Order: sequence, then C-alpha cells, then structure tokens
Amino acid sequence: MSVYELLLIMHIIGTVLGVGSATFAEIHYTRFSSDDIITDDERKTLATTYTVMRTGLFLLVISGFGFLLYFRLTEYTDILTSPVFWAKMTVVGVLVCNALLLQARLMPFLIGTAVSLTSWYAALTLGVLREINASYFEILVYYAVVTVLVALGLRWIRARTHAPKKV
Amino acid sequence: MTTTLAVMLSIHVIGGVIAIGIHNVVLMHLLKKTPDYVFISRIAWSAVALFFLSWATSAYYYVTYYGTAVKPRIIAGAAPFAHTFFMETKEHIFLVLPFVALSIALCASYLRTNPDDALRKSTAFLTFVALGIGVATAVSGMLVSGSI
Repeated sequence: MSVYELLLIMHIIGTVLGVGSATFAEIHYTRFSSDDIITDDERKTLATTYTVMRTGLFLLVISGFGFLLYFRLTEYTDILTSPVFWAKMTVVGVLVCNALLLQARLMPFLIGTAVSLTSWYAALTLGVLREINASYFEILVYYAVVTVLVALGLRWIRARTHAPKKV
Repeated sequence: MTTTLAVMLSIHVIGGVIAIGIHNVVLMHLLKKTPDYVFISRIAWSAVALFFLSWATSAYYYVTYYGTAVKPRIIAGAAPFAHTFFMETKEHIFLVLPFVALSIALCASYLRTNPDDALRKSTAFLTFVALGIGVATAVSGMLVSGSI
C-alpha cells in the first residue's frame, strides 16, 4: 500500500466518522430532547457520539496535512491554488471554531448544531467535487445559505417533536 | 531533497499539527466548569515536546535546504510574498510558540495541585492565543509550500 492510499483511507474514514456522528448527534439529540429531559444514559450516548465526531475531525485534519506534505514532497502544489481546497480548509476551520464556541457556551445550540451538520456535509461534498466551476466566495455563499436552511429545518423538526400530543 | 530532509519536514508538519490539535483539546477542557487538570497537564506537556520537536526539525530543514533550494524558487516565482511576508513572519512568530506552550503546561501543572478559577481562565485565554498563532503558522506554511 502506498503512502497516498494510506492517507486516502485515513481521510475517508475520518470523513465517514465525522459525517455519520454529526448526523446521529442530531438524530439522538432531537429524539432525546423531545420530552425536555436528557437522562444520564442519553447524555452518555451523546458524549460517545461527540467523541466519535472529534476522532473523525482529528483523522481528517491529520490526513489532510499528510496530503499537503505528500504533494509538497512530490512537487504537486497545484491543489494549493484551488478555490475548492481553500473553501474546504475554511469549512474545517469553522468546524473547529464552532466546537470551541459550543464548549464555551458562546454559540446558541441550534445555530451550533446546524453549523456542525452543514460543515461536515460541506467538507464531504467539497472533497468529492474537486473540480467545480465556482470561486472561493461563491462556495462560501452557498455554504452560508445551506447553513441557514439547515438551521431552519432543524428548528422546524424540533418544534414538531415538541408539539403537544392530541388525546 | 534527501530522505533525511523529507523525514525532517514530515516531522515538522505532523508534529506541529498534532501539537496545535492538542492545544485545541486543552482549551476545550479548560472551558469546562470542573476540568480534569491531570489530563490537561499531561497533554499540555505533550504539546510542548511536539512543538520543540517541530521547531528543531524545521530549523535543520531551513538552515540546510530551504535557504539555498526553496527560497530562490519562491522569490523568482509568481508569489514572492510567500517568502518575504509569510515565511519571514512565520519563522519569527513560531519562535514564540514553544515557549507559550511551555507556559501553558506549567500553569496546567500548577492547577493540578492548586485549582484556581482565575488562573484557569487566564490559561484558557493563553491557550486560545497559542491556538491562533498555531493556526496562522500552519496556514502560512501551506501558502509557502504552494508558492514553489
């Protein structure tokens, strides 16, 4: 197995863990908070999901820098002028900042979870669509618009799960 | 580039990135109401070791290879500012980082035996500053690499 293949596998595993755990963090949180009480077991399940998410982020960042190093050593540095690459780096930066702000209770939970979910899917999409006809700022505008839509969607879903049941 | 230099550059990049990641974890834990100072001080000292390792390997790479083989190519290329601004800034600001990391580790070790909320907040702020410097240094390194 070549170094490139090893980095690719690590990068894919990191993305899969991140996207999967971000999705299940949302599903679990929405389900667990429907009765406005989060039990110890539910809290432990959420904590485990967030640990998996952080592991995914760690693998993603380390393999990402591994790729940069690989491209530097093989003198293939064209990727560093790609708007998709810089957009993806920005999205990963937003993910890290968002996690810090959530931890410091400086980010409203609804916005924080929407940013987390959208960012993971954005990183996945940008990783797959390496060649797209859009500038760095266009990509970030799409990302911001999708984040707002996801926040509205999550708000709607949570409002529905909290709706009083008809007797 | 020789194998030794490639290994040095790899240790510099991976060691530095892991150390920045550790500072991220340190900051996340320092923001908790009841942090586990034993865990924080252990990983903070790991960050110190990694920053010094990253620093030493980059110094070897810079002195023996970068100045003669890489810098002239960047200066003659389309983005000379990658060296004149980003590398010049990076190489000076990065000198501070291992010592900031050392201060964080010392504070974390002190907090193990003397928990103090004011010191916890100050250490968290210092870690935030170190994280900012670390990220800026990493981005500068990427810009320099991309300008060859």
